[in-house]
Amino acid sequence: MLNLQLLVTAAAEGGGEVTSKNPIVPEPFELIYGIIAFGVLVFLFKKFAYPAVQKGLDARTERIRGDLEQAEKAKSEAEGVLAEYKKQLADARTQSDKIIDDARKQAEAVKNDIVNKANNEAAEIKAKASADIESARTAALASLQSSVAEIAIELAEKVVEKNLDRDTNKRLIDSFIAKVGS
Amino acid sequence: MSDDRSDAYATALFQVAQGEKDLGRVEDELFTVANRVRGNDALRDALTDQSLPVDLRQGIVEDLLGGRASATTTNLVSMIVGAGRAKDLPAIIEKFLEKAAGSRSETLAEVTSAIPLEDDQQQRLKDALSKRFRRTVSLKVTVDPSIMGGLIVRTGDTVIDGSVRSRLEQLKNTL
Repeated sequence: MLNLQLLVTAAAEGGGEVTSKNPIVPEPFELIYGIIAFGVLVFLFKKFAYPAVQKGLDARTERIRGDLEQAEKAKSEAEGVLAEYKKQLADARTQSDKIIDDARKQAEAVKNDIVNKANNEAAEIKAKASADIESARTAALASLQSSVAEIAIELAEKVVEKNLDRDTNKRLIDSFIAKVGS
Repeated sequence: MSDDRSDAYATALFQVAQGEKDLGRVEDELFTVANRVRGNDALRDALTDQSLPVDLRQGIVEDLLGGRASATTTNLVSMIVGAGRAKDLPAIIEKFLEKAAGSRSETLAEVTSAIPLEDDQQQRLKDALSKRFRRTVSLKVTVDPSIMGGLIVRTGDTVIDGSVRSRLEQLKNTL
């Protein structure tokens, strides 16, 4: 269209003399050659270059699709790992709670055991002290009774020695003989 | 010393005394010797001291009994001391006395009194014990003031304790 406009303008300016030698408008055979050459080029391009380009594009598309799938897969895996991690975290928390609870229970049991032992020991010490006191009291009482008995016997011996003269002794012997023979 | 050994010595003493026709006197003298040895620690230690020569220990016996006891008694005691059996002398004499009493079909009764017994008391006691044990009893009396009063009679394993000392001991145990 531009060439045609240029041809019209040039004809007007040339004073009405129309020539077939226009430097801008190609010769018909050039157009035919050009068209043929263009067709050959299109054919060659379609025959050789386009498949390669198409193949590259397909490969790129395929690669992008693979990358997308891989990314999707990685995302899925990451989500699985995350879920697993969260699950493990929850398990760990549960386990730690259980350990803490067990430790608390164990500490409570140890505390109760210590308190019970202390109470038992205190009771034993108290009982032993009571027994010792009772034993000491009994021993003191026995010692006192023994002392009283010894004093009483000593006094009795003195009284007997003082009063046991020969006649009394004879009567004792006679009484003994009478009992033995009866 | 075993009972068998004491018994063997007692049998020997009995046979010698019986052979000498002096059994009654030897019985009394040996009974006195046994009481002296029991009651005198110094005498018992001297007679049983193995470090002293036998002659010296027998000399002690001679000094104690010579002239005061029969020759038979002195020789028998000297023989036991010379054999190194002085510590068993009281046990041997006790068995000897049992054998002597047994030879007369009697039972030996050892009597301990705080004061000497009069003859009639001894006779009444002998009759009472004979009645109690249903066989004739011969008495061997020891005077021991430590029993304070009353009598203690021992026949074999039987002891009849009627002493004031034992009554005071019973009273003490009761208190």
